[in-house]
Amino acid sequence: MNNRKQPPNAGLFGLLKPYSKLIVTLIAFTIFGNALNLVVPRIIAHTIDSYGQPTFVLRTVLIEFFLVAAGIFTFAYLQSVVQTYAAESIARDLRTKLVAKISVQDHAYIQQATPARLLTNLTSDVDAVKTFVSQAFPSMISSIFLIIGAGILLLWIDWKLGLVVLAVLPIIGATFYVVLGKVRKLFRKSQEAIDWLNKVINESILGSALIRLLNSQHYEYEKFLAANTEARSISLSILRLFASLIPVIIFFTNVATLMILTLGGRFVINGSMTLGDFTAFNSYLAILIFPVIIIGFMSNIMAQATASYQRMSPILEAPERKHTGEIKADLQGDISVRGVSVSFGQKAVLKNVSLTVNAGTRAAVIGPTAAGKTQLLYLLTGLIEPTSGTVEYDGQPINQYEKTSLHQQVGFVFQDSILFNLTLRENIAFSTTVKDEDLEKAIATAELRDFIDSLPQKLDTVVSERGTSLSGGQKQRIMLARALALNPRVLLLDDFTARVDTTTERKILENVHNNYPGITLLSVTQKVSSVENYDQIVLLMEGEVLASGTHKQLMETSPEYVQIYESQRSTSHYEPVHAK
Amino acid sequence: MGVVGRTVLFNLRNRVFLKLQDLPVAFFNENKTGDLISRINNDTDKLNLFFSQGLVQFAGNLFLMIGAGIFLVSLNPPLGMAALLPALGVLVATRLMSPWVKKKNVMNLQSLGGMSAEIQESLNNFKVIVAFNRLDYFRRKFDGANQKNFSSAVGAGLASNLFMPIYGLAQLIVIGYGIYLIAAGNLTIGLLIGFVLYINSFYMPLRQIAALWSSLQLALAALDRISEVLALESNMPVSAAGRTPSRSVLKFENVKFSYPGGKEVLRDTSFTLEGGKTYALVGPTGGGKTTTASLMARLYDPTSGMVFLDGRDIRTYKPDDRTKKIGFILQEPFLFTGTVRDNIVYGNERYRNHSSEQLIEVLRENSLGDLLGRFDQGLDTKVTSSGDSISLGQKQLIAFMRAALRNPDLLILDEATDNIDAVTEQLLQGILDKLPPSTTKVIIAHRLNTIANADEIFFVNSGEIIPAGSMEQAVDMLLLGKRES
Repeated sequence: MNNRKQPPNAGLFGLLKPYSKLIVTLIAFTIFGNALNLVVPRIIAHTIDSYGQPTFVLRTVLIEFFLVAAGIFTFAYLQSVVQTYAAESIARDLRTKLVAKISVQDHAYIQQATPARLLTNLTSDVDAVKTFVSQAFPSMISSIFLIIGAGILLLWIDWKLGLVVLAVLPIIGATFYVVLGKVRKLFRKSQEAIDWLNKVINESILGSALIRLLNSQHYEYEKFLAANTEARSISLSILRLFASLIPVIIFFTNVATLMILTLGGRFVINGSMTLGDFTAFNSYLAILIFPVIIIGFMSNIMAQATASYQRMSPILEAPERKHTGEIKADLQGDISVRGVSVSFGQKAVLKNVSLTVNAGTRAAVIGPTAAGKTQLLYLLTGLIEPTSGTVEYDGQPINQYEKTSLHQQVGFVFQDSILFNLTLRENIAFSTTVKDEDLEKAIATAELRDFIDSLPQKLDTVVSERGTSLSGGQKQRIMLARALALNPRVLLLDDFTARVDTTTERKILENVHNNYPGITLLSVTQKVSSVENYDQIVLLMEGEVLASGTHKQLMETSPEYVQIYESQRSTSHYEPVHAK
Repeated sequence: MGVVGRTVLFNLRNRVFLKLQDLPVAFFNENKTGDLISRINNDTDKLNLFFSQGLVQFAGNLFLMIGAGIFLVSLNPPLGMAALLPALGVLVATRLMSPWVKKKNVMNLQSLGGMSAEIQESLNNFKVIVAFNRLDYFRRKFDGANQKNFSSAVGAGLASNLFMPIYGLAQLIVIGYGIYLIAAGNLTIGLLIGFVLYINSFYMPLRQIAALWSSLQLALAALDRISEVLALESNMPVSAAGRTPSRSVLKFENVKFSYPGGKEVLRDTSFTLEGGKTYALVGPTGGGKTTTASLMARLYDPTSGMVFLDGRDIRTYKPDDRTKKIGFILQEPFLFTGTVRDNIVYGNERYRNHSSEQLIEVLRENSLGDLLGRFDQGLDTKVTSSGDSISLGQKQLIAFMRAALRNPDLLILDEATDNIDAVTEQLLQGILDKLPPSTTKVIIAHRLNTIANADEIFFVNSGEIIPAGSMEQAVDMLLLGKRES
């Protein structure tokens, strides 16, 4: 039972430190309640021994009795209230702490830690700690107290018999210690099985349309069954280990009872022990063995909480990301990328990329699938950091800018549409700084006015988690409006044109030009025709800049560009004439 | 006893998950992922807890309690009755309060589900939160849910523990009262000892049953939330066959459709697709193109009207037969965490157990081999469902390969290549051309060169589907047609 000395538990108990007042109160109530519980057999024994004797005074006995009863009742309530409050507070604060840590991490961290695991951390793992505080901790404290108290009383009544009975405890304790060592590892695995379940459920929901199109529900069920079976077999192993404890406890409890009956019986017969003491002795043995079992099973909960806490501690100990940037100046909008390389592990995504976009000009990045276009935009928003080289705005490295200020001036339209389960207004004015007129301007520019007006609740329409009732183009334009609502100096578009029809696209780009004069535009696209008249076109292939210049220049110098152009030209006479 | 709980947990989780697989896509549009995960993982665990805490003990306890009760009464009837009465009182009170305690527990589980939904949404959309510098958003939304969970958990915890101390109090009062009666009646010491022992044997199990009861209220609350899901029936059953066959591959007959609570997306549309032809759907965003395609594949059923597949009401097909005929490349490609290979053969019985060499051979035969070169580690390239480890264009390529390998009669491409560069797209066009001539293709795209080869073009706008005639006419309609998006 002395496994509390193991180092990992220090973290778990360290967690309780800020709540020391609550915890001390909880322990105090628990101990008072239990101390009173110990008094009850004593009173009864006394009553039995003195019953019929002149020392027996009914009034005194009853007063004692009701005082103790009232005390036990009060402390039981106080304990229950404090226990619930303490456990829930600790759980809430632990979640808050975790989220505070998670929310300052970068995108890559979340991807690496995986949302499925973080979800388990914030729910199931926190729950394990909570159960420890609410059930295991007070029970263990009161059990230890009961064992010591009952032990002392046993020795006090008859030290010979007491010693014999107490000899059982270390044996039971040692058995627990061995079993718990094995169980802790299993608990860790059991939480990992929950991560796995989370992942399978999550993917089966996000991919629900695909699964139904392929009628592959049974595959999903197989995956789920595999994870669930694993979870079950781990739990059963844990149960088996604990089940192996039960015969040990029962055996030694019976040994102790036998001792009391044989030895104690003889003591009563030869007169060295009273009948009342004998009854009390039996009661105290029950009081003694029960907490031993409790401690055993609570160690189970403690082992589980420890395993969970160990899973959370990397998050709690994750280094604070440094936000050294202090520049808050208004951007002109010059972008320059100098010799930037980005690799993910062994894989080079961008190789020595350099490009410059002057403030107020329009530039396009064109290139085949997986050329690194999106990653280039991620660099410019600080979602990823270069492995080497620098990214600069107005000649200052991006990380010198104060984050809030930078993100308010650089608007980014993601390629995939991401909407929150909020109203349209909140989705568009996602940044807090958005003013009403900026919101209006953004909506008008993204050609969303008619659509929003057609909705019964207009801007207050709540969008569902995955925006399922909206078309791809509508979602894309909401994403654009979200970026424009910042009133940005720099607008980064990632394949914005893919989901919007050509007419709307042309109107929107005209609107941007008119409503946001002087904005710097960097657009990743597949359509040459949309960007022919841009100031600069950069051709990106396999992470390298192959060529850059105006459409005219590239047509003369870059065969790859000509190839792309030709591949789209076949039907380009159908494309509506572009704004000059 | 723990084994029973574990088995219940295992079976219940399987059942809920299986039920989710049974439900149509529309269900997932209306329910939050995080909440569903919470139901499958957390709520089921509450039942496990209940069963593990000793349902078996319950029987033993009940037996002990009844026995002790009988002995108490037979020992001394008036004394025995007086001893049992308070227990009865508390029992009745407990019973009366049950619905209230259960409600508190349901509220707590709901708030846990809500919190799980917040976490899930924010973590899945983390990059937008970072790019718009709204880390505070995540924290604020979460803090709200967290605080709500705190209040409801404290409420549920207090409610559950409300009666426990009362049982202890009743026990002690009864013993005290017994001593009083015995002493006042000048009864024997033997009776007193017996009385005390029986009272303890009666009240101890009663207290444990009371503890089990509070865990039962939580389990019942959890069961409520699980049953909500289990009770759902798919509103898209397979109906009995009917109607005489016709020649067309696909036919819409007076089809109307609106999403729940939304306005009408399709108004009384009728059209016919013939085998082996290529059709294009064009039109402004929000015009109803994706909805039309979804109805073709029976992701939804029309609000009224009928859809015929190969001359038969599409609702009469078994899911397996229907999905074999139709390949649908969704607008937003979805990948399962795993490798490119896992995703290409996903749901494909035929190639599922092929070795990598065999699979590459099959891909070559279907002219898909070149596409593999777009992945740096070929079939073994790792992908995640949420990550950016591969680009959207690459995801579309995988979705394309997945659909093409199934050799469907009707292949629907919903803006399926719009994030792919023009050169690769030409490659895809070549692959489409090599599909068996009987394959009917429906292409939705914004890039006009993608749809240039269509045999027929439909203009989809404002809930209407009109044959557009030639490409030029379609472009004119796009430019001039009334917009309502």
